[in-house]
Amino acid sequence: MELFLMTLITGIMVGGIYALVALGWVIIYKCSGVLNLAMGEMTLIGAYISLTFYSMGVPFIFALLLSIIIGLFLGILTERLFLDKLIGEPVLSVIMVTVGLSFLFKGIVELIWGTDTKVFNPPIFSIEPINIGMVSIGEVYLWSFIAAMILLVIFVCFFKYTRWGLAMQATADDEMAALSIGVSARFVYAAAWAIAFMAAGVGGTFLGNINGLNISVGYLGLLVLPAVVLGGLNSIPGAIVGGIAIGLLQNFSGAYLDRYFPGAVKEIAPFAFMAIFLLFRPHGFWGWERIERV
Amino acid sequence: MSTTFLPCGDYHQNYKQEHAWWQTQFIKGKMILLFLSLFVFIPLLANGYWIGVFNMVGYTILGALGVQLLIGYCGQLTLGHGAFIAVGAYASTLLILEFPWPKFMMDWGIAYPLSVLIAGIVAGLWSILFGLPSARVKGFYLILTTMAAQFITVDFFLTQYVSQIGGRGQAFSLPPGTMKIGPWVIDSNIRVYYVMIILVIFFCVIMANLIRSKVGRAWVAIRDNDISAEVMGINVIKYKLLAFFVAGFMAGVAGAFWISNLAAISPDHFTWYLSLSLVGVILIGGLGSIYGTIFGSIFMVVVMELLQLAVMPLSDTYPKLMMDFLFIKEAAFGLAICLFLIFEPNGIGYRWWQIKNYFNLWPFSY
Repeated sequence: MELFLMTLITGIMVGGIYALVALGWVIIYKCSGVLNLAMGEMTLIGAYISLTFYSMGVPFIFALLLSIIIGLFLGILTERLFLDKLIGEPVLSVIMVTVGLSFLFKGIVELIWGTDTKVFNPPIFSIEPINIGMVSIGEVYLWSFIAAMILLVIFVCFFKYTRWGLAMQATADDEMAALSIGVSARFVYAAAWAIAFMAAGVGGTFLGNINGLNISVGYLGLLVLPAVVLGGLNSIPGAIVGGIAIGLLQNFSGAYLDRYFPGAVKEIAPFAFMAIFLLFRPHGFWGWERIERV
Repeated sequence: MSTTFLPCGDYHQNYKQEHAWWQTQFIKGKMILLFLSLFVFIPLLANGYWIGVFNMVGYTILGALGVQLLIGYCGQLTLGHGAFIAVGAYASTLLILEFPWPKFMMDWGIAYPLSVLIAGIVAGLWSILFGLPSARVKGFYLILTTMAAQFITVDFFLTQYVSQIGGRGQAFSLPPGTMKIGPWVIDSNIRVYYVMIILVIFFCVIMANLIRSKVGRAWVAIRDNDISAEVMGINVIKYKLLAFFVAGFMAGVAGAFWISNLAAISPDHFTWYLSLSLVGVILIGGLGSIYGTIFGSIFMVVVMELLQLAVMPLSDTYPKLMMDFLFIKEAAFGLAICLFLIFEPNGIGYRWWQIKNYFNLWPFSY
């Protein structure tokens, strides 16, 4: 029972980080229709930037803020340099540009920061677990969950109440109508990438705090793909629920299935689940079902 | 991008001419020259290093042909092709190491060719298994299921279970002398080169013939619009699965061939980035053309080697540069994919076609 509760809570907490990154993914897809496969590398870049600032002596909060700000510029830069040129091209080219971007980002990350595992030193969160009732969880999990939730709330408010957020929603809903009432679609695309980069940076920073930072954190960033498939590609609440569900799935399979399938079952379970899930409900729980015509 | 135009003033006079592979005397001469240079001149003139580079090109072509078939001809997006190469490589290795071959088969050198064939079939069936979702999903969702194929196969199945067979630990190494085709032991770069060139030509011919047959036309119809293909009476699922089988077969043979060069395999050789780079190769080369695949592979391997040669002189002043070259290569490759998609979405193959037609139609290009 204790194992169950602990797995449950850890799963939800890690899932919160995934939800944050998945939110960035969904925003890009909703606003510009780009299916982004470079999300893993984007989390890496954000994580390494805040690690660099942190090791230079900047307090953690400010390092995180700086990585958010740099993520903003990187996002706009990426969109303007690569994705902007491809508006109106077939979906395959757009997906494959993000594949190219993932190579590019990965190469740059390895070039600048190397392939060794780096840790936040001195550690930000104490290793001592916090006891809540009968379960104990690591401090890092708790704080990342809180941060992820705060950011999620900020993003949701941004979409609901600010002018830019409303412009983005309008573009996502109907690009032609949005253009006709004077929304700049190019601005919206750039803003979507900027938000995705920022969300990925925060997610990556916390993921890097859990087990140290190396290239395989980028693989954790890829877990947003099962998450968004589960929730539906164009649903923001779906992304949040999907992220948490994937966190749960990962931790439960690690806790219970590892006995029967020793090894990497924890890493594989989300993808295996996704492959099976796609067979039955390709548009996810809250996504739009597209009706195809010749 | 369809067939090349005939030179100015040449006409077909019967159907046989139109279906001929080499339509004019000039093309025939050109192809003979190509074969001569492939079989005679390159092995004679190139040194060991460049033969190794060519082997790499051949391996990339063999792997990318299957991806080209799936993406370029059948429209089934796949990002997990490395998994099928891995399955082929492991199947062949395990067959050689663990299967109790009769003595005479080992001596006559039938074991390795037979294992290559079986590896191809195993990889093809494995590919069908992960192609089954294509009956229901397509586009981006199919990308995700093939990605799942990659992670399930390589990171889980091969790493955790298959690698444990025989208790050798992670990496399997093949003792020298086991790679034997007939009387020849494949132990040097040059012998690998000959195996490679025969396989590449064989599969290019098979593929070109498949594409211009009924099967190929069905694939192209599915690529262009699968619903109309179904309306026209094409059994979409059957042809999709057939495409997956053929692509998987090629991948399996590519993997089984590549172990003759590596002589040791581990799951690290078949990461997700291999699958991604195979897709990058066909994007650079051009979708829907076989020579596009070849150009893409040459671009990826040879241009990157040239880049390395260009960086080499700088290594005295910046010793870190050589160590980091792998990463520079990766970034440059990613940038190349992006730039090709932005500025030349049809790839190198399209440019080649244009140049060829320019000369064929000269001086009356209308």
